[in-house]
Amino acid sequence: MLDVRIEKLEKAVCFMKKLVSLLLIFLPLLSGCQLRALNPNSERASDQTFLIWFSFGLMMIVLSVVFFLFVRFVSKYKQTEMNKNDIPRDVKGNKKLEITWTTLSMLLLVILAVPTVAITMESSPELAETSLENTSALHINVTARQYSWSFQYQNGKTSENQLILPKDKEIVLHLKSDDVIHSFWVPELSGKQDVLPGKEIILEFKADQVGTFLGKCAEFCGVNHTNMTFETKVITQNKYAEWVLE
Amino acid sequence: MIFDFWGSHVTVPSDIISAWILTIILAPIVLFWISKKKKWPLVREYMITTNHRKIGTMYILFGVLFFIRGGIDALLIRTQLAVPENDFWVFQNDKYNELFSTHGTVMIFFVAMPLLIGLMNVVVPLQIGARDLAFPYLNAVSFWMFLAGALVFNLSFFMNSAPNAGWTAYAPLSTDTYTPSAGNDYYIFGIQISGLGTIFTAINMIVTIFRHRAPGMKLTIMPLFSWSTLITSFLILVAFPVLSIALFLLMFDRMFGTGFFHGGVGSPIYWQHLFWIFGHPEVYIIALPAFGIFSEVISTFSRKRIFGYPAMVLSLALIGFMGFMVWSHHMFTVGLGPLANTFFAITTMLIAVPTGIKIFNWLFTMKGGVISFTTPMLFALGFIPTFVMGGVTGVMLSAAPADFQFHDTYFVVAHLHYVIIGATILGVFAGIYYWYPKMTGKQLNEKLGKWHFWIFIIGFHMTFLPMHFAGLQGMPRRVYTYQLGEGLFEFNLISTIGAFLMGSSMLFLALNLYKTHKHSPNVGNDPWDGRTLEWTVSSPSPEQPFKKMPYVSELDAYWYAKLENEDLSEANDTRPAPVSIKTIQPVILSGLLFAMSISFIYQWVWLMIITGLAVLSIFPIRSLTSRNEYVEKRVKHE
Amino acid sequence: MSNEKSSEHYNDKRLGFFIYLIVESVMFATLFATYFVFTSEQSTPSPTDVFEAKSVIISSFVLVLSSATLLISEKGLSNKSPRLIVLGLVITFLLGLGFVGIEIREFFTYINEGYTLTTNVFLSSFYVLVGLHAAHVLFGTIWMILLFYQLMANIPFSLYVEKQRIFHYYWHFVDLIWVCIVIFVYKPYLF
Repeated sequence: MLDVRIEKLEKAVCFMKKLVSLLLIFLPLLSGCQLRALNPNSERASDQTFLIWFSFGLMMIVLSVVFFLFVRFVSKYKQTEMNKNDIPRDVKGNKKLEITWTTLSMLLLVILAVPTVAITMESSPELAETSLENTSALHINVTARQYSWSFQYQNGKTSENQLILPKDKEIVLHLKSDDVIHSFWVPELSGKQDVLPGKEIILEFKADQVGTFLGKCAEFCGVNHTNMTFETKVITQNKYAEWVLE
Repeated sequence: MIFDFWGSHVTVPSDIISAWILTIILAPIVLFWISKKKKWPLVREYMITTNHRKIGTMYILFGVLFFIRGGIDALLIRTQLAVPENDFWVFQNDKYNELFSTHGTVMIFFVAMPLLIGLMNVVVPLQIGARDLAFPYLNAVSFWMFLAGALVFNLSFFMNSAPNAGWTAYAPLSTDTYTPSAGNDYYIFGIQISGLGTIFTAINMIVTIFRHRAPGMKLTIMPLFSWSTLITSFLILVAFPVLSIALFLLMFDRMFGTGFFHGGVGSPIYWQHLFWIFGHPEVYIIALPAFGIFSEVISTFSRKRIFGYPAMVLSLALIGFMGFMVWSHHMFTVGLGPLANTFFAITTMLIAVPTGIKIFNWLFTMKGGVISFTTPMLFALGFIPTFVMGGVTGVMLSAAPADFQFHDTYFVVAHLHYVIIGATILGVFAGIYYWYPKMTGKQLNEKLGKWHFWIFIIGFHMTFLPMHFAGLQGMPRRVYTYQLGEGLFEFNLISTIGAFLMGSSMLFLALNLYKTHKHSPNVGNDPWDGRTLEWTVSSPSPEQPFKKMPYVSELDAYWYAKLENEDLSEANDTRPAPVSIKTIQPVILSGLLFAMSISFIYQWVWLMIITGLAVLSIFPIRSLTSRNEYVEKRVKHE
Repeated sequence: MSNEKSSEHYNDKRLGFFIYLIVESVMFATLFATYFVFTSEQSTPSPTDVFEAKSVIISSFVLVLSSATLLISEKGLSNKSPRLIVLGLVITFLLGLGFVGIEIREFFTYINEGYTLTTNVFLSSFYVLVGLHAAHVLFGTIWMILLFYQLMANIPFSLYVEKQRIFHYYWHFVDLIWVCIVIFVYKPYLF
């Protein structure tokens, strides 16, 4: 009883926090209530979260420089009774300044590009025919159709709209669609991967915590797109071994 | 509601019935009002005109009308999403899909494009010292084609078959297998026809700018809005034909049984490639003219020459050029492979550099100036932080693995509205307030304008800032609801409140228009103390401006002449000018194209043949009638 | 004065028309790309099954010749010789009509053999590309009828020259597209 109350209280506090911090613009990112895409439970998702934070940090530098100059110039050079008839001196440009901000912005992008390229090369999913067969991993066939998901495990067992995964095990999803384009998305475990008709695409990740996560179709696929969700349960390897034989 | 319609039961949703009822009530009122005010001659005058200012005004008028339509769509979307598990009116499932599909399509093709093209029409000829566009007749054709396309598209709603596959119409969802209703056929024809009109406008603008500049005005001293128009026109030349063909192929898939974009035999990804080869440059097509407007406005109201003019032109060109090399960043999650993803991530990051250069140049234009906070300047000032916020999320999106999370979520929705509203819509507002005297001879009320700005910008940030977080919290785009426990409620509620705030700001614009036309006197040539040639002609601009052709020897020549208390030096110009004529042909062509579209959409073969032949016959008719006019003009001049 | 006026006007038109031809090139380029994406030796039926060399060679000959005969007209325009203009125009017109005829025959042969628009995506992209080109040729022939009429209707000769020059650009452009079609569409599978 008390637990429930505390949980409710926590939820309420979290809600208030979000509301207040939203007004303080960027604080929700720093607050305790984690946004799902920033709460990784696999290495793949961690890489993505890292990149989100990293690019966000770099971009905050840009943003603060621009905001600082903006506020300063607008407040310093606004029209007043004093200067309202002044004709300011023309400045055609300034080579040094212009070169400076061009190089600096390039440099910033290079800093961003290095981890981006590294992670992109490592984690971009590919068509099945081009990717190497990973035999030690757990292979699951994922079939998307308007408007449900079905998952087929290695021993032929299938589950509908529910994906059961063992913890700490390489997972290889073989994504296929029966009709239109869908997209597989469990924010905590992996970014999106589109599911295409007539093509098979490989998505690999390894869940490193147990838990239940909401998965969604992220590519608009028709009338009932909104409700094309599935539940992802990460369980221990022992439990998985039991479950899959049930 | 269910009706008996010649023996068959037809279900018509109540939103469509209300729209019909509203139209049937409003139409006679409007017609009566026009008659009472004796405005029919004016309507007729605008229908047969080929004058650039009048056509530009019509573009803007209809752009604003469709803005209201797209805006109502947006408010309905926000109402449906305001609270979790909501069932607002009929807007769930397919009805919701129709809402966001039409919202996107209308806003891009029938709001952003005509508003910008309208401003180009009004301003560019005056700014470069041309008496009209190079091909006034073609310009009228462009406008009426835009209107035909827009009417075709908007008719779909009244026929209860609005497009429902998103504004991107991704195949195979958009093929007849999965969306058999006529909705996406309306989409194809509406965009196809108005798109062809846009291509003609681009040709017109390029020829005008290359061949009709005032004497002495080299390209290197041409005002930046004209520069942005020129570069935009080149982008249109390459991007729109690709869209044309993409729609053409989709039409074959939907109507003639081919399988280009089908899942099995064809390639759905090929549609995405074609669409984004058009679609990404399109983003710059609607952003660059806005950049041009901001350059003019910021320079004028800082009373300073633009900082780094060559860099401004160069970065426009670079953005335009690189805009064609980034399209696949919309497709990071398709599975194109590591190499393609890396390539497009890098090119996308690079495009931030010229954009950043522009931002700094605008900032340094203000530095050392005397900044007056007029309404157009407020919109320009609102643009800088807003657009930079959209820009930095753009760079964040370019990191491909991060995009695996961002893609198709509300984060992207937030980003795209930050850049498109931040640049295009704020730019259009700035432009309308700034050049309103040149269109109508009157200056809009400053006080109401400022109210409009502040409520709009506050509402805007309230709407779209929380969407970043909704996206990161796992809210995909294009969903009509969400569950209570998902942690999305507070973000969505704030967004909805913001959206209504934004919407209400438009009332101030409406009030402003009403008050201005009721009470304000006409203003002189140069109400803003401007810098470029359009401020040398009377307000509103006359049909044949520049009776004395100015000679332009430097950037902002008019400003420097004013500083010296001199008139602009006159040129001995004998360059023959395009003659604006009166013709009803473009309107007829527009009507025929409209009928032809309907005949294709509903596959009425007899009407296809009749209207097809009639459309073709416009070519010889124009060729033969233009000769007569031309000869008369020659005689008159000799 | 009037001559200068009209030539300035003509230069505008010519530039505009050239830009329009760029637009057309982009459209055709997209259709060529479509053809490349969807066509391979593996498709059934494959291009080698479908294409027949005879009709391609004849139609190419006819269309290239028509571009050459248009030069007779061109000469007539610069010599102010209506006789040459008519001669060139008539021959070009007949060749253009002939080309359209051969195309229609070719399409009918294919369709009779069971290779229709909807058989597979290779054929779809083939028909859409080549069909759109044939439509351009047909449009050109109608344009020539209009030119005949205007030549007879006694409009100022300088104005007529402008009108026909624009047509020449169009016709040569359409011809050029055909050359591309032969090189990229037929040649890899025929010769």
